[in-house]
Amino acid sequence: MEESQQQGFDNPQPDFSDQPNEPSYWKSVATAGVIFGIVAFVLSLVSSYAVINSEPTGSLLNPTQFIGTFACLAGSFGGMLAVWHYAREYDLFIQLGRGALIGFLTGVGITVVNVILGEAWQFIDPDMTQKVIESTIASIEAMELPEAQKQQIIDATAEGLQSQNSMFSQLLWSIPINGILNLITGMIGAKIFGQQEG
Amino acid sequence: MAKGASNIKLYFLILLAVTGIFVAGLGGGIWDQQTFWALQWQHQALSYVCHQLPDRSFWLNNQPMAVCSRCLGIYGGFLSGWLLLPLIDYFKNRPQPAKRAAIGAVLVNLADIIGNLVGFWENTLLSRFMLGSLAGLSVALLFVGTFFNRNIKSERDHHGRVTATGI
Repeated sequence: MEESQQQGFDNPQPDFSDQPNEPSYWKSVATAGVIFGIVAFVLSLVSSYAVINSEPTGSLLNPTQFIGTFACLAGSFGGMLAVWHYAREYDLFIQLGRGALIGFLTGVGITVVNVILGEAWQFIDPDMTQKVIESTIASIEAMELPEAQKQQIIDATAEGLQSQNSMFSQLLWSIPINGILNLITGMIGAKIFGQQEG
Repeated sequence: MAKGASNIKLYFLILLAVTGIFVAGLGGGIWDQQTFWALQWQHQALSYVCHQLPDRSFWLNNQPMAVCSRCLGIYGGFLSGWLLLPLIDYFKNRPQPAKRAAIGAVLVNLADIIGNLVGFWENTLLSRFMLGSLAGLSVALLFVGTFFNRNIKSERDHHGRVTATGI
């Protein structure tokens, strides 16, 4: 008894790790993963078509890509939403590590949903990637640069966009980056929604 | 005890991950990579979280960094705050939640983005970097008292109460 009290004082946060039958977090992970995955996909789709339908700007990167960035940034907060949902659904204390785990898994879920929807969209509009590349190249051609340098940028950009849109590349880079960002927002969620301040 | 140890592990895991993202965010210029910058792995990896517009990014060795100045500030500020956590916890007896500061810093950044977008003012590389740093730092400081809390049970004057010194 004395020992357990001492442990509680050594560690200022209440330890509820021994709570029996702690509910599963997969429902929250799946809910946040699907919602944010769809939001991220729709925004990136809007961004892609905005690039396709824009006039050549003479700039290497199109300002409409801001929309795509918002998609990714929005996706970073999936971890927080998942933790909020978990805390609200079961009304329990959430340890920081659990919040981090829920966040990371949500980040992976968002990426997977986003990539699957992206692959499915290839059946609806198989030429979308090619159109984005062509639109970007048209924009580069409007730049006032020496021809050789322009050609180098065109080749590099086409290659970059092609590889960026491959499923393997998306999974390779998105899972760790989205996972880490959502892990952090999951921890923030655990700090805000899952703990009582003393 | 076991939970404290796992929190420390989590601290170092986040430290490693954020350091990695920050170093990647500096782009290929820091290593003087010869590949065209848009094709460098740093740009590929971070293209999902930042617009990477060259005119909104700092340049290093004639190459734009892999994230814009605001994102660099966010990661840099967060990393700095994270590194400061042990020091703050060491000198601070009672952890104080920085929730309001974090929300405020995020709102200031949003206001800056919107104000710039609608033409109320024009922000600069430096102002974006500073505001991003403020947001990153304040978010990291949400975790003051979480990983390195030294509070222990007093066995003397304040017997039974939690104090920083145990006295």
